Amino acid sequence: MHEKPTILLPVRILEGESLPEGTGKLLSNVRVLLLGYHVVPEQTAPGQMQMQFEDRAQDRLAELESALESAGATVETRLVFTHEGQKTIDRMIYEHGCLAVLVPDMVRDLDDVLVPIRGTVGVDRLVRVVTGLFADTDASITLFHVAEPDETDEDARTLLDGVADRLTDVGIDEERIRLTIRRGDGALDSITEAAESADAIVMGETDPSIATFVFGMPAEKVADRFVGPVFIVQRERPDGIERD
Amino acid sequence: MVDGDVDPFGEGVPPESSGRNVGGESPEIDPESISDEATIHDDETELERTIGLTGGLAIGIGTMIGAGIFVFPGLAAGNAGPAAALSFAIGGVIALLVALPASELATAMPRSGGGYFFVSRSMGTAYGSVVGLGLWLGLIFASAFYLVGLGHYAAAVFAEVGLIFSVSPVVPLGLVFGVALTGLSIGGTENTAKIQNLVVGILLVILTLFLTYGSLNALGVFGRETAPEAFFPKGVFSVFSTAALVFTSYLGFAQVATVAGDIQKPSRNLPLAMVGSVLVVAVFYIVTIFVATSAFGADRLSEFGETAMVEVAREFVGRPGAVAILLAGLLATFSSANASILSASRTVYALSRDALLPKKASEINLRYGTPHVALLAAGGPILLLVATGQVEVLAEVASFLHLIMYGLICVAVIALRRRDPPWYEPSYRIPVVPALPAVGAAASFGLVAFMRPASIGIGIGVMLISYLWYRYYAGTVTLKGAF
Repeated sequence: MHEKPTILLPVRILEGESLPEGTGKLLSNVRVLLLGYHVVPEQTAPGQMQMQFEDRAQDRLAELESALESAGATVETRLVFTHEGQKTIDRMIYEHGCLAVLVPDMVRDLDDVLVPIRGTVGVDRLVRVVTGLFADTDASITLFHVAEPDETDEDARTLLDGVADRLTDVGIDEERIRLTIRRGDGALDSITEAAESADAIVMGETDPSIATFVFGMPAEKVADRFVGPVFIVQRERPDGIERD
Repeated sequence: MVDGDVDPFGEGVPPESSGRNVGGESPEIDPESISDEATIHDDETELERTIGLTGGLAIGIGTMIGAGIFVFPGLAAGNAGPAAALSFAIGGVIALLVALPASELATAMPRSGGGYFFVSRSMGTAYGSVVGLGLWLGLIFASAFYLVGLGHYAAAVFAEVGLIFSVSPVVPLGLVFGVALTGLSIGGTENTAKIQNLVVGILLVILTLFLTYGSLNALGVFGRETAPEAFFPKGVFSVFSTAALVFTSYLGFAQVATVAGDIQKPSRNLPLAMVGSVLVVAVFYIVTIFVATSAFGADRLSEFGETAMVEVAREFVGRPGAVAILLAGLLATFSSANASILSASRTVYALSRDALLPKKASEINLRYGTPHVALLAAGGPILLLVATGQVEVLAEVASFLHLIMYGLICVAVIALRRRDPPWYEPSYRIPVVPALPAVGAAASFGLVAFMRPASIGIGIGVMLISYLWYRYYAGTVTLKGAF
């Protein structure tokens, strides 16, 4: 038996965003933190928005909650009025120790899950998410790595084998795991290409750097291009982070 | 609902605000708990806090730095001579004397509404209504004042490029900017806070360069003669009456408290932002007057009127200096006006939340997510006031209405310390109570006495109307602190 990871599912609650088909089934084995949020323009007080729309938002949130629960998920809800959606999402991840954020999209049959792996950092959390979500399903899991030019095939193989061992340790059948190593194209394009035959993606977020600030997080770009749900596994949040 | 005082152990149900207004609405229920990052209602709905210390300082400095530097130097020097620097110092000391008690209250009640919220929760609904409606109108007078200042700067830009009008374009330009600002805030300007931070940053850089150069020059470093003159050419009384006039320059720190509900780690950031912004702008103001009066002498300075600083800059560095100060003046008066209009709309929200104004007044339109009724309720009267073009009266009435509130804030601290209700647990406590807040209250009320009779008359009229409105509209509403 493995521990159930907490997955954050953010929904823009007052904008009629609904849960795509299959989301409940996808999350049936995990704990879901369903975050209904509404982004308030800066010239409006969040409390002012709350005064007028709280009831409507709560009703909608309750509908989504019961839909997820009837599919078997354990659900906790939060409703937040905020000026900055990203700040709220970050706070939820931190306060609830969410392992991953789901960017939902439609999913019918869950046959193949693509798991791109960059390196050894964060593998532990990645494994916990994959196990939590898919250990009790029949989906095959493709561990995918785009090798760096100076990286040997052997190194890449060792990396993926290590992850595969971790998955079999927690009881995932070896036959369900496939290993793929790619070279050449940029990582982003390779992942998008490999994702064409996949039904869901689980991938880690990268450390924020100048490039990600300018061009956006690779994981978010993958989520934009991919037709299907993407789980973005979160970095470890340092304790007591200072925000002024 | 519980009447009377809180139970002595503070464990029972906290007293709730109660009563109904003429329209049958009751005050909203207060939140369950307040954390550093969110305000939580009923354990279910949260309001994210998104403004950090930098943002809080930018609101305070951005609202304040406009008037004192870009509108008042000429007027103040004309009234009090070089001693106008002392007037600004007096204003700064009073602002600081109020900012400290306001900080204590803000850490005990980190909710949006600012001074209105503190006074209504500690001294009752009647005081609250007078202060709340007074604050709203005070902000409207302040916005109108900033817009007239903006009009002067925009007119100076036209004069600089050689466009001459047969009629003074100041008031029409102020009106155009007033309409534009109201429209912008209803239509949903994105990233206003980021723009505000940027504007304040640019302003501080321009001013620091300019004032450093100016001070060195005034001290004779560049071998230039300063205009020698008496420090008190108009006597000591004029110093105080000028302090009363220019006090409008210090209204901004209270605007930080009107968005208290959005500030992260309020117990730390609110006091720092309020006290910090007063200190920063006070230094800038005093140095500005010093530099400006040493450049020209008070009499010539006052002839330049509202845009005197442009001439000071021209004197030092020629046309580029004049253009830089023109630009800074436009930015500063624009950001002050914008901040005041938004604060006025926040005040309407705070009042309607407490059923002192119809709930309809803070209604939000679905298309833009902005409180269009509250913003229009601010924008309309502002335009009327801008049309008068009376810089000094507008400034004084704004000061008057704020000073009454500031005095009551000081009184509120004394009252709360004496009563010590269980919910009152400020994380920041001011020293020397009750002497310090008592001096603050005396100074605030005292400064009012130095204003011109017209301003005092209008101010008292506004307070009277506010009180009558409360008696008519919300006589049974009681508001109580419960945190």
